[in-house]
This record gives sequence, structure tokens and C-alpha cells, in this order.
Amino acid sequence: MSVEELVRFDGEALGHARHTVLADLTLELRAGERVALLGPSGVGKSTLLAALRRRLGQRAAWCPQEHGLVPPLSVYHNIYMGRLERHSALANLVNLLRPRRDAWRDIQALCRELGLEGLLKRPVAQLSGGQRQRVAIARTLYQAREVFLGDEPVASIDPHQARRLLNMIQRQHATCVIALHQRELALTHFDRVWGLRDGQLILDAPARELTLEDLDTLYPDAHSPDASPEPA
Amino acid sequence: MSAERAPGLLAGDSLNLRLARRSLGLIALCLVLLPFADLAITTHDPWAELGRMISGLLRPDILATQSLPHAIALTIGFALWGTLLGVVLGFPLALLFPRSRLLRGSCAFVRAIHELFWALLLLQVFGLSAVTAIAALTIPYAGIFAKVYAEILELTPRAPVDALPEGVGRFSRFVYAELPMVWARLSSYTRYRFECAMRSSVLLGFVGLPTLGFHLESAFREGRYAEAGALLWVFYLMIASLHLWGHRRLLPWVALGSLFLLGPWPDIDGALLWRFMSVDLWPKPLLDGDLAGLWQWFGEIPDLLPAIGNTLLLGLMGTAGSLVVALLLWPLACRHFGNRPTRMAGKGVLILMRSTPELMLAFIFLLMLGPSMLPAWLALSLHNGALIAFLVARHADAIVPGSHALPASARYTYELLPRLYGGLLALLFYRAETIIRETALLGMLGIATLGFHIDSSFAYLMFDQAFFLLLVTAGLNIAVDALARRYRPREIADTIGEHDRSTGEATC
Repeated sequence: MSVEELVRFDGEALGHARHTVLADLTLELRAGERVALLGPSGVGKSTLLAALRRRLGQRAAWCPQEHGLVPPLSVYHNIYMGRLERHSALANLVNLLRPRRDAWRDIQALCRELGLEGLLKRPVAQLSGGQRQRVAIARTLYQAREVFLGDEPVASIDPHQARRLLNMIQRQHATCVIALHQRELALTHFDRVWGLRDGQLILDAPARELTLEDLDTLYPDAHSPDASPEPA
Repeated sequence: MSAERAPGLLAGDSLNLRLARRSLGLIALCLVLLPFADLAITTHDPWAELGRMISGLLRPDILATQSLPHAIALTIGFALWGTLLGVVLGFPLALLFPRSRLLRGSCAFVRAIHELFWALLLLQVFGLSAVTAIAALTIPYAGIFAKVYAEILELTPRAPVDALPEGVGRFSRFVYAELPMVWARLSSYTRYRFECAMRSSVLLGFVGLPTLGFHLESAFREGRYAEAGALLWVFYLMIASLHLWGHRRLLPWVALGSLFLLGPWPDIDGALLWRFMSVDLWPKPLLDGDLAGLWQWFGEIPDLLPAIGNTLLLGLMGTAGSLVVALLLWPLACRHFGNRPTRMAGKGVLILMRSTPELMLAFIFLLMLGPSMLPAWLALSLHNGALIAFLVARHADAIVPGSHALPASARYTYELLPRLYGGLLALLFYRAETIIRETALLGMLGIATLGFHIDSSFAYLMFDQAFFLLLVTAGLNIAVDALARRYRPREIADTIGEHDRSTGEATC
């Protein structure tokens, strides 16, 4: 059986201009694979996701953290931005003044599923942190691409909701790479786990072969009280 | 190991000490040059004159002015359309601003000439018409908007753009991910600029355009102080009630409505306009290519060097005076001093002084004290000092005082001023450009700065000379701005934020 390989890194160094964040990276992303990306903050998860995003181009839908949203614009417009490139500049401009009927219908349905109903006209600036994250997810779902790349999309959402959102994301995307900090979710909702620590990919294994203890090794102070895993 | 010696007077390398030396240097320079300034009081009894003015303010006669509503409507109409067209021109220029040195230079040039000088120039072609009034505001404002909008746009956060899907066009990216992020800043600056336009629009009356200032000037000049007082109150009310009638949803209707009242509209003669721009404005020897003649032409300009000297001197005195006034007045409006009533009164006085344009203040002092540099100096110092004091007081209000109660003098010198001084000085240096611009303008009242000669050249229809003097004024202004930029406390300018609301407000 042959599985399509989407991206492959072969001993590559990733980083910014003069600063290498991830050295000697070797990994591959195959179609149909749901990957959880774990590691302490600042280790380079965002760098790896950005590199995947560059490689995948139009095939990937990108879900950044909430600061990728435009706070003064409404929820509707923020979600609409997921398909900004599919309309002409004029159509986009008109849509700012008067929402497109078809887009409004689709986005309304999407918002209902994400628990954002009734908020379409509200500026994102007036939403709570959890609601903003759901708007960011909605925008990414609205892009309707093959691969979902998410930078902690369920970070400040309660565990029950987080599971529901991950299910939604994965229903729409056979392939996804999602940075997480909830270790339990990595084991229950993903096929594969990539673990980063100290600028290296130190873990690349199928989720069913891993235990929570294995994942703890990724975090230098996993046993200190403030790094305790969230209650499942 | 020897004990550390206590430092001498003002010795040391801390930021505040350096700033203190710099400001004392400014004041010392001003004092040394003061004997060269003409500060004579030439009226018989200034106090009596002041008394009459104050009684006029206290007993205003609102019905004395004929066609007051029309003057108010014109004042608002000119300001609104001047600002609107300034935005329409300035916004696209702001997008090109970072890319074109030529554009930046031209904007600096049109900004450097005061609205009233533009009015004087345009008056020669368009007469006392709405075109003159609106264009006199629009031209410099386009330059200002181009610069300030460009600075605001430069600060657009990158994250929303980075989050966009691939392949989004430049225009869609701009209207969705960039413009909304800075919209609030752009519109708050535009609103502030409209307030400046209201003041300038009133001033247009001083060159004969039928705004509020026209009636104000004639009432003051003819000693009808009850009428003048009423007009002043109307002016203050207009500024103070701006937030009521200047609502976002109301303004388009005000703009459209005022369109019917604006006027008169001139008959524009294209040939005449072309002749004015291509021939009248330039020295004849220059057009003829006669170099020797040009030299002689230069020689015929009266008192050029004294005029430049006076402009610079008055500008320096105005800057030093503003510093002293600001240092004295800011506690008046600050929550750390006095009680509620004194603060209300202090704030009121500061707002009153900063809302009154320098030209108007100078004009009132001139009637009191007679023609010399003194009225201009007082006007520049009080207006700018009050403006800076008001902003500094707002910064001070944000400071949380230390745990133990200090007497007021210690609070001022130890707790607050050290934290505020850099910001105060930065505002003053920002303001220096405006002060020199105003200084030149005050010449129109008969003070021997560049404006006096510009005004009289226009009066004698010597357009080439007037235009040359305008260029000199603009050049001087740009040079002073560059100088002030150099001596502005940079460390502070960065921390209070170059695009802080208050520094924006220090520019008109």
C-alpha cells in the first residue's frame, strides 16, 4: 500500500535569519495522518508549523493563535477572511459594506456548530479569549483545505470543548498537524506524536505506542506543580 | 579607596540632569538675546484696556453681530471641507510616502507654510471665495495627513497579515487585515485635525474671509468689546461642543448641508491663473535669465536679514517662555495637587488658553500693549505652554504616587517632575516647529517677523517678493524642525511613543 507523502524534511535546519531554532530536522508528514505536536513553549513548534505551511502552500489551512484575528472587524468578516483569495478585490470590498448572502449562510452554519451563534455581527474585540479561539478555528475550517495546521488552537478552551473542536477539525481534515499542550488529547485524538525538546525532534512515534509518562519526558519540569497536566 | 565626592551643581550624567542642562541652556540663550528684542509697551493704560475687554467678556452682546449664524456656518463648512479634501488627498499620498523622497520633501514644504499664508497667496487668484478658504486648509493638511497617516500605517501589527491564506491580493489584504487595525488611530487623529481646522477657519477671517474671525477682528479693532466677547464665547462653545455635533453619523449631513451655504464661488480665469503661477510669482530677472538683475532684485527686498533674525529670536523666546509656563501651570490640572474645584478651574483655564489660537491671543494682547514683540511673546508662551501643561498633567494623572504622603513641593520636585520632565521637553521640541510657523505668521499683526513683509508684499502686489519670502519662511521652518528633532530627548520620545495621542496633539 502506498501512502502519499506530503512533506519531508531531511536533516534540515529551521529558524530565522541568523538563529537556528530546530537543527538537523528529519521527519515526514503523510496524507491521512493526524499529528499532535508537543513540547515546552518556545521550543520551536511555531517555527516547525510555519515551515510546514510554506511547504504545503495552498493545500494547508492555517490556524494561528488568536492574534491573527482582526479585533475591530466582526466575527463574520474575520471568518470570511479564510476565503479572501477566492474573491475579487471589488467583491471583498463590497462584502465589507454588505455581507454576501451565500457566505453569510455558510458562516452562520459554521458558527452554530462552534457555539458562536448570534455573534456574527459582534466585533472580535468584544469576545472572550475562548470565543476568539473558536473564531480562529472557524476561519480555518472555512478555508476548506486538505491539511489543517494549528498553533495551539484549543489552548484556552476547557477539555470537554477542546475534544469536541478537535473532532470537528478532524472530521473535515483527514490530515492535520496541531500543536497542543494537553498531553491526554495527544494520545486520544491523534495517530502520531511529534515531540520537540532543546531544538531537536526527540519523539516521533505512533500515539497508540505511547503513554503519558513518555510524553512527560518532553517537559523539563513535568513534575513541578505548575506544569501538572490538566484534569481530563 | 577615597570617598565619593558629592557632585557639583547640575553635574552628572543622568538623563534628567542632561535634560536640565539642555533646558537651562535654552533659557540662558533666550535671556542673553532678550535685549535685542523690542518689548516696549506703547499704550497709555494697558490695564484699563484689559478691564474693558474683561467686562466685554462678562457682559457679551450676542445680538450685536449681523449675520452671525452665517459666519458660524461658514466657519464650520470651511473647516469640514478643508479637512475632508485634505484626507482625500493625503491618504493616497500616505501610501506612497515611505517610497518617495520627493513626496516627503514636498509634503514638508506645504506643511511648513501656515494656512493663513496659503490663504494670502490663493486670495490673489481666487479672491475672497470659498475656494481660497478651503484650499488654504486642504493644501497644508494634505501634507500633514500624508506624513501622520504614513507614520500610523507603519505601525500596523503584522500578525493578521501573516495569518491570511496564500494568494490574497494587495488590496484585499489592506482593507481586511491592515486598515481595520489602525482605523481607530487614523480617525482619532483626523478628528483632532478637524478641531485644528476649526481654529484655522476662524483665523481665515483675519485675511478678510467672512468667518467668525472676521467679525471678531473688526469688533476688537473698533473697541466693541461686548460684541467681541460674545463672539469669543461663541467660538469657545463651538470648540467645546464639537463632540456633540461632530458625531461620526452627523458629520456627513453637516458636510452636505454646509455645501449649500458655502460661497461665494469665484469665476476662475484659466489664463489669469496660469499667468499668476508662471510669471507673477517669479522674479522678472530670473525669468529673463538676467543674473546681475537678479542680484539687484535681492537687494531690493527690505530688511530680509532683520526679519529672519526677529523670527528666530521670537521663536526662541516663545519656546523658552512655553517651557516656563508649562512648568508652572501643569500642576493646576493634575490630580496630585489641589482639590476638585481648583482642578476644574485649572483645567478650564488651560483648555481656554490652548483653544485660543496664538494669532487671536497676540491680537488681543496687541490691542492692550501696543505693537512690539511683547504681545506675540506672551501669546506664544501662554498658548503653547498651556497646551503642553495640559498634556503633561494627563501623563501625571496616570502616575500612582508612592506610599507615604509628601508635601506638595516635594511631590512636584521629587516624585512627579523627574518622571515627567523628559516627556515635557519632548513635547516642547515637537512644538518648536509650530512655534516658528506661528512666529512668522504673527508678523501679519505688524510685528517685524517674516510674516509682516509677506503681508505687505502681497498688499503692494509684489507677488514675486511675497512668494520668495514664503519660500524663505518654509525653509526656515524646515531647518528649525530639523534642529528641534536633533535636540529632542530621543530616549523619552521613544518611551512615550512617537505616535502617542499627546505627541500627535502637539502638532497643530
